[in-house]
Amino acid sequence: MHDETDETIIRIAAALRPLPEVDPARKARVLVAVAAERERTRERRLRIARAWRVAAGTAAVAAAAFVAAVILGTPRRAAEVPASARSASMPARRDAESVAAAARLATDAKLGGFKTVQVVLRAPSARRVSVVGDFNAWDSGTDEMSRDPVTGLWSHTLALRPGRHVYAFVVDDSVWMRDPRSPEAADADFGRPGSVLLVGQP
Amino acid sequence: MTKPRPLQLIKPAAPPDAPEPGSVAERSLLVAAAQRGDVRAFAELVDAYYARCLRFAMHMLANRGDAEEAVQDTFVRVYRALPGYEERESFEPWLFRILANRCRSAGARERRRSEFVEFGEVPERANDRRHDETIAWREEITRALAALPPEQREAFLMRHVEDLTYDDMAAATGAGISALKMRVKRACDALRLRLTEDFGARRD
Repeated sequence: MHDETDETIIRIAAALRPLPEVDPARKARVLVAVAAERERTRERRLRIARAWRVAAGTAAVAAAAFVAAVILGTPRRAAEVPASARSASMPARRDAESVAAAARLATDAKLGGFKTVQVVLRAPSARRVSVVGDFNAWDSGTDEMSRDPVTGLWSHTLALRPGRHVYAFVVDDSVWMRDPRSPEAADADFGRPGSVLLVGQP
Repeated sequence: MTKPRPLQLIKPAAPPDAPEPGSVAERSLLVAAAQRGDVRAFAELVDAYYARCLRFAMHMLANRGDAEEAVQDTFVRVYRALPGYEERESFEPWLFRILANRCRSAGARERRRSEFVEFGEVPERANDRRHDETIAWREEITRALAALPPEQREAFLMRHVEDLTYDDMAAATGAGISALKMRVKRACDALRLRLTEDFGARRD
């Protein structure tokens, strides 16, 4: 039987030991992913807190409605179309635009001169949304947004250098739209509409 | 159109009485700071361990893209799990546990996707006379390593490349020490056999 560390094994280990070259951009993406995780955790906490408040509010409204119904003797129910039926009958573009509401949130994470910025788009029936801009060479495969199953809100955290950035959303690989909540860029790339995002010093 | 600039990590300036960089004491200070939510400390941990994690993942998955993804996921999981990390545990085996788990699930996915994993252009290049012998030797190792069962490959890498102790390996894999010794021994036997035979024959 060979010793565990004979010459061949030492040579094999030596060949495997050199550290691979690290792409600094790839390493920085780790921090962006971590910042996004931090955001998700924060939002999850907020949502739970909000859900509790809503639940308490709904209970109060239901109690009041019950009292009103008993008093008036004519209970009425608001006509409501299920959200799924509504969105299924609507093309992605109109749906995304009609309910488009976006918010940005600059977090306090300072990543070596970069600042994390969260972009949000409400597009409940979209299947895929990405954010494109000068920071990712307008490539829709780089910064895909993730959808919150409860709110239908798509969000993504970007690490951006301070300064002015132009960006837009690509919905279902077919619809290009600018962020309706941000100022429109006069100089958007490819002549397509874009929005302006100003990132302050970290 | 502006090209995306490469991102860079900034290291915070060390206070004068800071422990030696890279020392165990410094690492545990960093871990403790990261646990308190210090983003810079976490960035330093990423900086300190990224290359090693990537090396391990690349040897486990034999594909750089998959390996980088696995390492990124690992750090996100580390971040998520940090509040539950206890200081009496060593950080390194704890990190390798998360990394090895992630590589295992990526490896299983890859095996489901295709039965045969291609490694570059080894068959053609092996006959190329101009081909550098050192590179040929590396490629042989890569192939021999890939041919090992994943748990043997994992144990071999942890022991002989990452220099973990058997105690640390037990913490990282959840396997017993004697089982781990057996895996390492089997891996060594298989590698030795394959590399002395194959490579010896080619060199003659």
